[in-house]
Amino acid sequence: MEVRSELLYTEEHEWMRIDGNICTMGITDFAQDALTDIVYVELPEIGTIIESGEVIGNIESVKAVSELYSPITGEVVDINRSLEEEPELINTEPYDNGWIVKLQIDPGEVNSASLLTEEAYLKLTEKAD
Amino acid sequence: MTDNMKRTPLYDWHLSHGAKMGDFGGYEMPLWYTAGPKDEHLSVVSNSGIFDTSHMAAVSVKGAGAFDLLQHCFTKDLSACIGPARKQLVAGRCVYGVFLNETGGVIDDALVYMNGADAYTIIVNAGMGQQVSDHLKHHADGKNVDILDLTDQLGKIDVQGPVAAKIVSTLIQDPETVFEKMPYFSFKGDFFGDPVEAGEVRLTDGTPILLSRTGYTGEFGFEIFLKAEQTVALWEKLIEAGKAFEVLPCGLASRDSLRAGAVLPLSHQDIGNWPFINNPWPFALPYNEDSSGFTKPFFGAASLADPDKHEVTQAFVGFDPRKVIPGEDVVVLDDALTPIGTVLTCATDMAIARHEGRIFSIASEDRPTDLKFRGLCCGFVKTSSRLATGQIVMLQAGKRQLKVEIVEDVRPARTARRAMAKMI
Repeated sequence: MEVRSELLYTEEHEWMRIDGNICTMGITDFAQDALTDIVYVELPEIGTIIESGEVIGNIESVKAVSELYSPITGEVVDINRSLEEEPELINTEPYDNGWIVKLQIDPGEVNSASLLTEEAYLKLTEKAD
Repeated sequence: MTDNMKRTPLYDWHLSHGAKMGDFGGYEMPLWYTAGPKDEHLSVVSNSGIFDTSHMAAVSVKGAGAFDLLQHCFTKDLSACIGPARKQLVAGRCVYGVFLNETGGVIDDALVYMNGADAYTIIVNAGMGQQVSDHLKHHADGKNVDILDLTDQLGKIDVQGPVAAKIVSTLIQDPETVFEKMPYFSFKGDFFGDPVEAGEVRLTDGTPILLSRTGYTGEFGFEIFLKAEQTVALWEKLIEAGKAFEVLPCGLASRDSLRAGAVLPLSHQDIGNWPFINNPWPFALPYNEDSSGFTKPFFGAASLADPDKHEVTQAFVGFDPRKVIPGEDVVVLDDALTPIGTVLTCATDMAIARHEGRIFSIASEDRPTDLKFRGLCCGFVKTSSRLATGQIVMLQAGKRQLKVEIVEDVRPARTARRAMAKMI
């Protein structure tokens, strides 16, 4: 299982890349492996305001339907439209071309969003195994 | 996983080949292997897949009273069940039906194989050997019959998909003779090597098998029964022989999505302890020609007498791969958004897509060349009254609503019934 040091994580197995006031989100390698073949991704509309803890999308695998939660308040400024054609990108490149949504956020809120470091997330997945 | 979970002879093979394991009927079974459930599903439709189904239970019923016992307990009329002419069951043929309790609810569904005069083998679901045996013994009072649970003595492997006969032909003695006169729902050979009228089937090394032209994927293929201790050797040979045909080992997830697309019920989910009537499987009941009654009396029949009193189970198909996970919070809504029923099965058949109001399969010869197959959700709903074919209903799970269409059939171009001559 791959975990990347430059990313932050949630207990729901999402990753975030914070770049100034832009937060790119996806699901982790652990999550895509547990979900197995992803067949459909429900993306939010650009311009949607998402409150911290709200559902931002749905990820459907052959096995399950799982909701994607935003750990941070922000406005949807971009969505990965290539997932409409190739949802399996989340399986094959969860941290790269499998990104799901970009939010414009207040960087000051990142610290209060209780995100996990690589190390803390690894511990979480070890427990889950 | 708890320690009391049962394992099939192939357990170690599954683990050493990257299978994701899960509980099914008390057995620790492969859900999928490294290829994943989507590729396994597609492989069965376009090539073939190999399934460990050794968890299924087998019960032997032998003796002068066997026929009468099965006529009483099994829904199919064994004296009138083969072909359009409704001939009687003969050695080398098998039939699908169910065992009912006194309220008409399903104890389990089953295939009954006629091995010879007064000798039958009943194949039921994982963990059901004991319960079905007990049910039969309860009704066998005074009848000359021996009932024996063979589950732990037998292994079972399903080879399903259009190239199944090509693979099996490389592993058995005299395949031309074996495949001759082998229609859907027939079998040859015996798992213990006992002589049978329909002719024996042996692997090239002499191992006796029972080769059955059946399965539960909707695709052409075989179920192979043999002694438990010989299961791993045959499995490895099938995997090896299948490599030339790009065949995959397949887990229970793809088995579930394949059977849902083929409109086949999963026992204890789509059929269960409610009256076995008003569903897409009337062929499991012994209806007379104008469906005004049954051709024989059988246990549980009285509770099926008034169909209008009971709920209706129907197949549906969606418009994209999205699905709901059946549970207490999932309801079926009609046009007025009134709750009218529940969802029994919802799975994604990855081999199908919609185009201009029609469903195509990756196996449809006339599929549009640019059609992308992303899959469609499908399954069964149980509602308070019958819905018209083509009617649109909503499946609601929490805030999500999925639009689906009530249908008679789902995945087109299935191969299960195709003539053997076209498949070898």
